[in-house]
Amino acid sequence: MFTQKRTLFFLTVTVILSLVLAACQAANTGEPVPVTGSGKDITIVIAEDPPSFNPIVSDTGYDALVMELVMLGLTDVDPQGNVFPELAKELPTVDNGEVKIDESAGTMSVTWKMRQDVQWQDSKPVTADDVLFTWNASSDPDNGSWIPGSDYIDSVEQVDQYSFIVNYNTVYPGYLTQFGGEQLAIWPAHHCDAKQGFVAWDCGRQPLSDGPFVLDEWVEGDHLTFTKNENYYVSGKPEIDKVTVRIVPDDSVRKTMMLQGDADIDMWINVNTANDLQNSETAKVSLSPTDRWVMRLFMNEAAKGTTDATAHPHPILSDVRVRQAIRLAVDVDTINSEIFHGLAHPTWTEFFRPPYACGVPRPAFDPEAAKATLEEAGWKDTDGDGTRECHGCSSGAPEGYKMEMEFITYAEYGEPLELTQQLIAEMLGKIGIKLNITVVEGSVLWDLAENGGIEQGGKFDIDIWDDGYAGVDPTDYLWEAYSQEAIKPGDGWNIARWDNPEVDGLIDQAYTLDEQTRKETFCQIADAIDKEVPIIHLFTVPNADAYSARLEGVQSSVNDLVTWNIADWKIQ
Amino acid sequence: MATYILRRLIQTIGLLFLLSIILFALVNLAPGGPLSAYGGRRIRPEKIEILKRQFGLDKPLPVQYLYWLAGNDWVKVDTNGDGMGDELGSRNGILRGDFGFSYRTREPVLKEIGLRLPNTIYLMSITMLVALIIAIPIGIYSAIKQYSIFDFFATTFSFAGQSIPEFWLGLLLILIFYTWLRNPWTGEPLLPPGGMFTLDSTFSLSDRILHLVLPVLTGTLGWIAWYSRFLRSSLLEILPLNYLKSARARGLPERTVIYKHALSNALIPIVTLLALDLPYIFTGAVLIETIFSWPGMGRLYYQAAVERDYPLLMAVLIIGAAFIILCNLLADVLYAYLDPRVRYE
Repeated sequence: MFTQKRTLFFLTVTVILSLVLAACQAANTGEPVPVTGSGKDITIVIAEDPPSFNPIVSDTGYDALVMELVMLGLTDVDPQGNVFPELAKELPTVDNGEVKIDESAGTMSVTWKMRQDVQWQDSKPVTADDVLFTWNASSDPDNGSWIPGSDYIDSVEQVDQYSFIVNYNTVYPGYLTQFGGEQLAIWPAHHCDAKQGFVAWDCGRQPLSDGPFVLDEWVEGDHLTFTKNENYYVSGKPEIDKVTVRIVPDDSVRKTMMLQGDADIDMWINVNTANDLQNSETAKVSLSPTDRWVMRLFMNEAAKGTTDATAHPHPILSDVRVRQAIRLAVDVDTINSEIFHGLAHPTWTEFFRPPYACGVPRPAFDPEAAKATLEEAGWKDTDGDGTRECHGCSSGAPEGYKMEMEFITYAEYGEPLELTQQLIAEMLGKIGIKLNITVVEGSVLWDLAENGGIEQGGKFDIDIWDDGYAGVDPTDYLWEAYSQEAIKPGDGWNIARWDNPEVDGLIDQAYTLDEQTRKETFCQIADAIDKEVPIIHLFTVPNADAYSARLEGVQSSVNDLVTWNIADWKIQ
Repeated sequence: MATYILRRLIQTIGLLFLLSIILFALVNLAPGGPLSAYGGRRIRPEKIEILKRQFGLDKPLPVQYLYWLAGNDWVKVDTNGDGMGDELGSRNGILRGDFGFSYRTREPVLKEIGLRLPNTIYLMSITMLVALIIAIPIGIYSAIKQYSIFDFFATTFSFAGQSIPEFWLGLLLILIFYTWLRNPWTGEPLLPPGGMFTLDSTFSLSDRILHLVLPVLTGTLGWIAWYSRFLRSSLLEILPLNYLKSARARGLPERTVIYKHALSNALIPIVTLLALDLPYIFTGAVLIETIFSWPGMGRLYYQAAVERDYPLLMAVLIIGAAFIILCNLLADVLYAYLDPRVRYE
């Protein structure tokens, strides 16, 4: 018979096992080293571990954030969009003779000269060897990666220890940030193992620093600590002695830590957090002076499930008047005030920020005009159920076809986008367009067509999310988002399947260093998009980072992560 | 019994094999894939091809499963994309203890799990222990004093404990103990909002305990309710039985009747229930780990699932499944051990 002794024995074993496991864990964690704090320590809170210090590989934002602490590129971009040199001695231009264009061949070469006073943390100099090593590793077809504009490079030649030439097979306007910016750093040839491959090498997670800080410790899932790089090339900088990056997955906990003064930086805060922090004495919000992420509606001009708008036009959206009517029916100001606390900026064109801002007039919010446009396009509600049907429509839909579509967004953005989606569905419902809402994971929305990716496979009617070009050169982005070549699944992201030969020609024309031509060309593209409405641009979402009131010099940027100028930060 | 255990262990191997096929198919056939998260939306065709080869995703699913199970160091794999095998693969397969590398970090999967598992065992074992220490007396007292005020409150508490969502309770506790309440001597928040210990401090047991309070409190509430209700019901079924009446008739004190004769039998189902709950100690709790910034298995699993980090996801699932099957076996064996009326042939 079961006895009390057995019960006690079992419970005792459970207790002892638990305590032993707890003790083992405590021993396993290792003892944190006490630091003689100078009071110049800061804590950055982020949602998840960076996969590595190499953002080219996975592009999560967290990798770029920590990369800025330890690695340098040839150049970087400030919040206003100005490129400034880091490892480069100066910016190569046509005017200073370092950029040479062969008009007849349509090629160009760029000579880069590097600073000679930058060292790795082991005191070895940063040289052109490291740049060539990085280029060779990143462009290795077997183990490399893809960096913007790399298709346009024919060769990279070393001139001497501190200079090299990049030969392009075209005129490439984005050359200034090709070996720098928010993603690419120059990696140490003597530390990284090329055989491991650019995307997999150990130095991506154990970097050798030439930036303002040195990685001390990385306890995965918990924290990373960095201390000041005594070899940093800018004398007297950084002013901060130690940076702790803590992994705090929940955004409301991060906000609470900011409010309590236990965190100094919370990157990429959402509008609700920005609104909550507005009156805080301990935490401030830094907004980027320019925006980048434009919330937009993508309207599939090809029938759902297909990717060729000519062979299989969408039964509703292939008619430009329908797309124009949708634009007329969306009240951006209401979305902004009701959901984004008035912090969003209404935006109606791809070209809204300097240096390529175009004077496209803002479209009106006019539901009555939208209804009239739909009537004119042959979409009428004859059965009185509130949803229009095709009665003589010219988009190829059969007579009586209901104006009902699926409206998709991605879950990771969170509540503001889902509310926006619902509000837009309501607005379009009022003009007789029925939208059925779907929310999916980003990994499903943006996956390859062969894996069931929704956008690449054309398996959607309308979807909404935020997008925008990085840095200051929109040319590659335009090719990827609007050119005919980018329609085919796998080749690009023209997911509206908008085929406009005139725009294709204009995009080709934008590959020049003549700024005047570029400005004019971009504005012509802006006009074409405005006229044919393959995408409806709605508003920009502010790029906001929270910082503690004791920090000086923090400036959020759409062109980089908030740590882009961490060497200049001061603690009051 | 030995034969029974051996037979069950052999069945476990077969079951795990079947499970591995089903899980591998489900994980790989679910919409979305690792390459969409790997490199963001702007991933280019050139990079996709490279990554596919590196991850072994260029092979048909059955071949991928075979390589995952038995490795690919016995076949030549295509490393340069020309469609021809160039060199022997480097994977040993899970049968030889190689769970592959994480797509996200490029680190061996077992290393990733090894970093997180001790943290989860640490948190969850203490949570379960605290839950039992509190739940057992509540269950006993509720049963003995059925329909008393205490029983009424315990019942209300149980329903509340099982109904309150962990994410809500966790955030509420952070609001109370981190934001509102202050240590009267130091002016610091009464309890930390998360993490396992205070960074930049020497080891301190009190610091560790302070960091455990909120996650353990959040995690135990549901379990306290669960175990106390179960024990109450179990005791209430036993208390009217004749053998207890006989014990009382023999003049045994009520304390001895309850704690020696009634409780020993009432605890049998609790022990088996506990064995079935043991896998939680290894698999962790996603919400608690997320809210309290606890670097454990739950968060690792969630991130692997969201990013379609197949090797990591499969490893966590298979190891979790193995734990569940073994704990089921343990529950059966314990049941037979504790209750001699139960016999397995």
